[in-house]
Amino acid sequence: MRKNRTDANFEAVPDDQQVKAGVPDRALVERMAAGEERALGALYDRHGRMAYALALAIVREGADAEEVVADAFGQVWRSATQYDAGRGSVAGWLATITRTRALDLVRARGRRTRAVERAAQADPDGLATPLGTPADRADRQIERHEAQHLVTRSLAELTEPQRRVIELAYFGGLSQSEIAAELQEPLGTVKTRMRAAMEKLRGSLAPLLVGGSS
Amino acid sequence: MTDHQWTELAAPYALGALDREERARFETHLADCAVCRAEVRSLREVAVLLAESAPAATPPAALRERVLREASRVRPIGARRPGRAPWLAAAACLLLALGLGYAYLRERAEQERTVRSLAASRDTIAARDSLVATLLSPDAGTAALAATGQAPSARVTWSPSRHRVVMAVFRLPPAPVGRTYQLWAIAKGKPVSIGIFNTSPDGRLVAEMPLPVDLKFELTAVTEEPAGGSPQPTMQPFLVGKVSPAD
Repeated sequence: MRKNRTDANFEAVPDDQQVKAGVPDRALVERMAAGEERALGALYDRHGRMAYALALAIVREGADAEEVVADAFGQVWRSATQYDAGRGSVAGWLATITRTRALDLVRARGRRTRAVERAAQADPDGLATPLGTPADRADRQIERHEAQHLVTRSLAELTEPQRRVIELAYFGGLSQSEIAAELQEPLGTVKTRMRAAMEKLRGSLAPLLVGGSS
Repeated sequence: MTDHQWTELAAPYALGALDREERARFETHLADCAVCRAEVRSLREVAVLLAESAPAATPPAALRERVLREASRVRPIGARRPGRAPWLAAAACLLLALGLGYAYLRERAEQERTVRSLAASRDTIAARDSLVATLLSPDAGTAALAATGQAPSARVTWSPSRHRVVMAVFRLPPAPVGRTYQLWAIAKGKPVSIGIFNTSPDGRLVAEMPLPVDLKFELTAVTEEPAGGSPQPTMQPFLVGKVSPAD
C-alpha cells in the first residue's frame, strides 16, 4: 500500500488551456450543460485523477476503476443541466457520483472493497497512510494538493480505531452494524467512534468547508 | 427519540452508514427538522472531502479519450440546441425556471403533507394491529354484555397475555355533556376500573384499553359516571356481562 503511494508516478496534468485559465469548475459545468464537450475534457483534466484514485480505492481493479470513472463522468455530462451549486462543489458532486458507482459495482460483483480487506488484515500501520507531502508532486494544482494534504493529515490525527470506522464506511460502503460485525466490536462503540471522528474531521477540515460552520 | 438522539444520526447518515430502516426513519425526521438538515449538510461536506484521502493513482491516458467518446454519443439532458435565437432561449429558460421553482415548491409541500399523513396512518394502523392481535390472541376471553333495560349491548374481549381489552359497543347513545361511560371488571365482587369511553353519535365504539396484569374477574359491567370517571361506580351498571373464559 504505502509503496504504491510514495512511488506513484505523477504525470503532469495535460496542458489544456482551460486548466490553466482558472475558469471555475462551475463555469465548466455550465458550458457542459450547453453541450460543449471541451468543457468536459477540461473537467476531466482537473478531477479525473481524483475520481480514478477514489474509484480504484473502492473497486481495486484498474479496469473496473476505469469503467466507474467513465460512467461517473458520463453521468456528470448528462446531468450537467441539473447541477445545483447550492448543494456543494463540482468536485464533491463528482466524488459522490464516483463513490456511489464504485460501491454499486463492488456490490454487484459481490466483492469486498479494499477498505474492508485492509480492516480484515488489521494492518497495524492503519488505513490512511499519509500520501506524502505536496512537494512530491510535479503537479500544478497546488490548491488541490493542499486540500489533499489537509485531509490526509486530518485523518492521520484520528485515533486508529476512529480512522478505521470512517474508512470502512466511506471506502467500504459498510453500514454501522456491518462495521461492528467486521471489526467484532459492539455497535454502540462503532457509533460513538464514527460520531467523534466526524466531529474531529469537521474541526480540522474547517478551512476547506464553505457553509458548514455550526 | 429525543432531538439530541436524532442529531446523532447525522454523521452516519452523511457517510451513508445507516441501515435501510434507520435511514428511512431519519429521512422522515429530516423533512421536519431544520437543525438536523443543517447538520447533515455540514457533515456531508466533510464526507465528500474524504475522497481526497484515496491513495494517489494515475489513470491510463486512454481513459480521457473514453470519457469524451462516451459523452459525444449523448447530449446533456435539456441542453440547449445551438443556433436558436439567444433571447428566445433566455426567455424559455426563465419560464422554465419559474415553472420548475413553482413545481418544486408545490412538490415539496406535497411531500411534507404526505410524510405527515403517512405518519398518522402508521399510528392508526398500529392501533388497529394491536386491537386485532388482542381479538385473535389464543387466550382471549369474551363477555357479551346485555342491556339490563333496552337496546344497547356490548362485547368485551380481553387477552391476559397482551394485557389488553377490546370493547365493542352497539346502540348506546353518547354520554351527556359532563358525563362518561366507564367499563368495570368485577373481581370477587369488587369493581376494578378498566377505562372510560364514549360512543360516537351513531351509538357505536370499538376501542382497546389496558387490562391490569393478573386481574381475574367474573363479570364486566358498564356504568355512566361524571366526566373523568370514578374510582368506584356511582350507579348500578346498565350493561352487565358474565365472563366466558377461553379454553
